[in-house]
Amino acid sequence: MVERQQLQKMLDTIQEDLLKMGGLAEAIIHKAVESLKNYDLDMAEEVLAMDKIIDALELTIEETCILAIATQQPLANDLRKISAAFKIITDLERIGDHACGIAKVTKKLNKEPLIKPLIDLPRMAYLAQKMLKKTLDAYVSADEELAKSVGDADNEVDSLHDQIFNELVLLMLQEPRNINQAAKLLFVSRSLERVADHAANIAERVVYMISGKRLNLN
Amino acid sequence: MQTNNNNNNNNNNNNVFEVENLNLWYGKTQALKDVSVKIEGRKVTAIIGPSGCGKSTFLKVLNRLISLIPSVKISGSVQFHGKDIFSDGINLVNLRALVGMVFQKPNPFPKSIFDNVAFGPRIHGKKTKSELADLVENSLKKAALWEEVKDRLHEPGVSLSGGQQQRLCIARALANEPEVILMDEPTSALDPSATLKIEDLVRSLREQYHIIVVTHNMQQAGRVSDNTLFFLNGELIEADTTEKIFTNPKDKRTEDYITGRFG
Repeated sequence: MVERQQLQKMLDTIQEDLLKMGGLAEAIIHKAVESLKNYDLDMAEEVLAMDKIIDALELTIEETCILAIATQQPLANDLRKISAAFKIITDLERIGDHACGIAKVTKKLNKEPLIKPLIDLPRMAYLAQKMLKKTLDAYVSADEELAKSVGDADNEVDSLHDQIFNELVLLMLQEPRNINQAAKLLFVSRSLERVADHAANIAERVVYMISGKRLNLN
Repeated sequence: MQTNNNNNNNNNNNNVFEVENLNLWYGKTQALKDVSVKIEGRKVTAIIGPSGCGKSTFLKVLNRLISLIPSVKISGSVQFHGKDIFSDGINLVNLRALVGMVFQKPNPFPKSIFDNVAFGPRIHGKKTKSELADLVENSLKKAALWEEVKDRLHEPGVSLSGGQQQRLCIARALANEPEVILMDEPTSALDPSATLKIEDLVRSLREQYHIIVVTHNMQQAGRVSDNTLFFLNGELIEADTTEKIFTNPKDKRTEDYITGRFG
């Protein structure tokens, strides 16, 4: 009983592009933190290039959403899918921007020795990535419970950020020469914390898309 | 508005109609099945559903136009401001003056614009010439037609455009000083700009009247109504705010109809 083929095709395209964009957002976070951990400048450049693709996808998806609203008058479940996509792409685009910020830190630190081994930052990145993956899985399979579970990981990321903040402040107090690098690492930590927030936002939109309920998972 | 399932003890005075367990048969065919709903006042209520779902029948019950059809049998109750419209004491002429109706195709009488609007009040008697003139002017103003016809009130109603004719019919209904206006697909014979004019008019009239609109046009229901009833095969499937019905309907059948996936 597939009717409204035109609208269905647009919805399929939106979902396909959104998953592509989501996959890139997962990968870009991983790459950004790896570039920092390994001081890999080529990888930092790759991050900047990937972000351009994410930006372009945001525009494409936005255009399809607008076209669907303008020409197909979507309602109910269809309307929720489109309005969710409209919001989700903004969060995904911001995730790309945060990854760029991290890649730029890699470039600015320019291989200067690290004041502490990077363990918690990659852990944050891993958690944020996992949140994003869960959210996208929930999006595809319309799994409300899975989307809701994303909030728990966000709390874990937040406490890691607090812990990193304290450590870095301590390092700055101990040795003023640490301040430059510590401030940059603090920025990275803050970026990853924001990425997790965006993932939680996306999960909220997925819950809305599935059930029409508005939750706060942040 | 609540379906009975949602709220059994709602004796809200704001309800214009309270329909309970309404069943209706045309001969042996059942056209309405156990419909229970409360219709709120000072709101626009849209009735949607596929052809033959009973929506126009339901509308015609509300001013008992349905009673003109001899083969019709009805059970259940329909209360208008707490009074059963099928009880013996009901005065049908008064009921239909209070519950006015506008039809799908504009149907002005073969009379002048003025006489079309003055027709009802004249039948109901008591108006003097100047009262009539005031009433006609006011009704045409409320129907957003006055400015277009004030210099040609004595030209035939049928000389107007389709959209103007429909507004004339609305003015004619308003001249009877109704409380409720029933509209049966009031814009299905009109072009988009005339349609939007009628829709604006409906929105403005809701300040003073209770309005119930049957429409095939889903977007119209979205644009004009506060509440929506969805009928299917004679059953009232879902009744809720238009926002809820259009963004997150409860029933799968409503969802399928609203999204055009009706198979």
